Amino acid sequence: MQRPAFLSLARVALAALAAATLAAGCGGDTEAVAPAADQAPKGQLPPAGQIARGRYLVRAADCAACHTAPQGAPFAGGVELASPFGKFYGTNITPDKKHGIGNWSAEDFYTALHDGKTPDKHLYPAMPYTSYRGLSRADTDAMYAYLMQVKPAAVPNRPHDLQFPYNLRFALAGWNLLFLENKLPDASTGNSESWQRGRYLSNALGHCAECHTPRAAFGRMDLSRPLAGAALARVGAPDITPAGLATRGWTAADLQQFFATGIAPQGSAFGEMYPVVHLSSQYLNQGDLAAMSNYLLGDKAPAPQPVKAVSADAAQLAPGRRHYVAVCAGCHGREGEGKPHVAVPMAGNSTVRNTDAHNLIVSMLDGIEAQRFPGLEAMQDMPGFATRMNDEELAQLANYLRATWGGQPADVTPAAVKALRAAGPGH
Amino acid sequence: MSIATQPLSLNINGKDVGPLDVPEGLMMIDFLHEYLDLTGSRLGCGQGICHACVVIHDKADGTSEEVRSCITGAHWFQGRKVRTVEGHGKRNDKGEVVELTPVQQKFLEHFSFQCGYCTPGFVNGATILVEQLKRKPVAKDKVDETITTALDGHICRCTGYVRYFEAVKDVVTSTPGLVLANTTDSGSAK
Repeated sequence: MQRPAFLSLARVALAALAAATLAAGCGGDTEAVAPAADQAPKGQLPPAGQIARGRYLVRAADCAACHTAPQGAPFAGGVELASPFGKFYGTNITPDKKHGIGNWSAEDFYTALHDGKTPDKHLYPAMPYTSYRGLSRADTDAMYAYLMQVKPAAVPNRPHDLQFPYNLRFALAGWNLLFLENKLPDASTGNSESWQRGRYLSNALGHCAECHTPRAAFGRMDLSRPLAGAALARVGAPDITPAGLATRGWTAADLQQFFATGIAPQGSAFGEMYPVVHLSSQYLNQGDLAAMSNYLLGDKAPAPQPVKAVSADAAQLAPGRRHYVAVCAGCHGREGEGKPHVAVPMAGNSTVRNTDAHNLIVSMLDGIEAQRFPGLEAMQDMPGFATRMNDEELAQLANYLRATWGGQPADVTPAAVKALRAAGPGH
Repeated sequence: MSIATQPLSLNINGKDVGPLDVPEGLMMIDFLHEYLDLTGSRLGCGQGICHACVVIHDKADGTSEEVRSCITGAHWFQGRKVRTVEGHGKRNDKGEVVELTPVQQKFLEHFSFQCGYCTPGFVNGATILVEQLKRKPVAKDKVDETITTALDGHICRCTGYVRYFEAVKDVVTSTPGLVLANTTDSGSAK
């Protein structure tokens, strides 16, 4: 999808190189910014309070997503992050002096999060300093205090596996000069205290935009379309602008429930959002979850739209209905009502209602692993149908779902299924 | 309110069945029980987890697969070939079972099941595995792993797993041609 942009990357590298030279020549650097809305308590916290606060913030910033590998020591790194540029690996951010950040000062830590620079090198923007740049110094100090007291792990960092020319780290100075913004644009409007807190939580800490804002050439965020949705991974990050959320039926209360539990009437967190709920959003307090929901929808939230009437005729949908009843209805319910603790309802499901059928098709092809959610909720594993249904059958099924319960046109083609099948894990 | 029906024809245990008018949303397990009086397949969890309800789908390419009949609509089987637990043993003219398959026989000999509720699913799963090994034998050192993987989805609440495993291993190792003499290391490159 983004291929044309990447084809011109050799040129980018040159441009970045030139920019880097320029930057070095001027002795300039990114301009210093005043920290964003600082939510830090007044005055210095006692050490234990500072650490507890840091722990909360490290969770809100979802550091573990990249820095704690499954079965690995906490914050010892190793999580793979695939990108069009190659594979990045989360680094060791335990206080280990050799492999971790044990020799960093609080100032070094702030600089890494704010400018993407460690004491000895430039970071790749796979580390979302592009978002963390909005963090206040008081907050990075608390995060630092927390990380400095986790157990040091002597786990060496795995070198990134990047293609030329992205493996040229010095070019990042140029990238930063060109693309590092002090402030991310808002998709919603508002000015209440809750909205402002939500902006800080969503943009700076939660770094929602890193996945949900489309990318333009050179891997930078397309800031003209904040949070409009992007498909960086196999499961795309949907449109979470106020209009996008409202057309899929989301309310602030539903979003808040979704962040806290991973489940809402519109469906369950899957793909890369599933670990976000587990590692990050479930730990946020109700006030902060309300603030994030408020920020995403805006102070004047648009009314959630009801599902439109069936948008195609019965004859057109009949083959899709047959497939649905044969292999989906056993769990999702004959009329799309779902089964508690087994499978989410299809009626009113956010993925079914999405204009873009990408995630719907990917889910049908690949399936979704069994999921356990905070609390007692769980969903069973959904089998993938890549080997059991052909492109035409899956297109018919997708169209039945979209037209019947999504208010969307029955416009999925077998070619669209074929393309996603070819890009899938089996190929 | 009337229930929409559709004609359904399929082949079960070697016999053609249908066309029968069957409600569009009926699950296969209910079709087997209520329309054909084939009550051997067990409804356990009803949500595709326990595999007690598994039937064998014989595909056109000569291979077979497990299908969970509690979450698969009867109409999915339109025109397809199916085997249920009733179809394994040899029967005489009166319809009485006169000979069990090796899988069934070994399950008895190893006292594999206690309450027996999960057994039809295990019989079908193990039968598919044995047939698959006849087409493509497994290296000697992969037998345990192959059995475990093949039957991993089947749940037995009496926890008879070890005896099920031993029975299947007995069938696999005592039936000629299912296991290669060499191990994966001594065989051809992977």
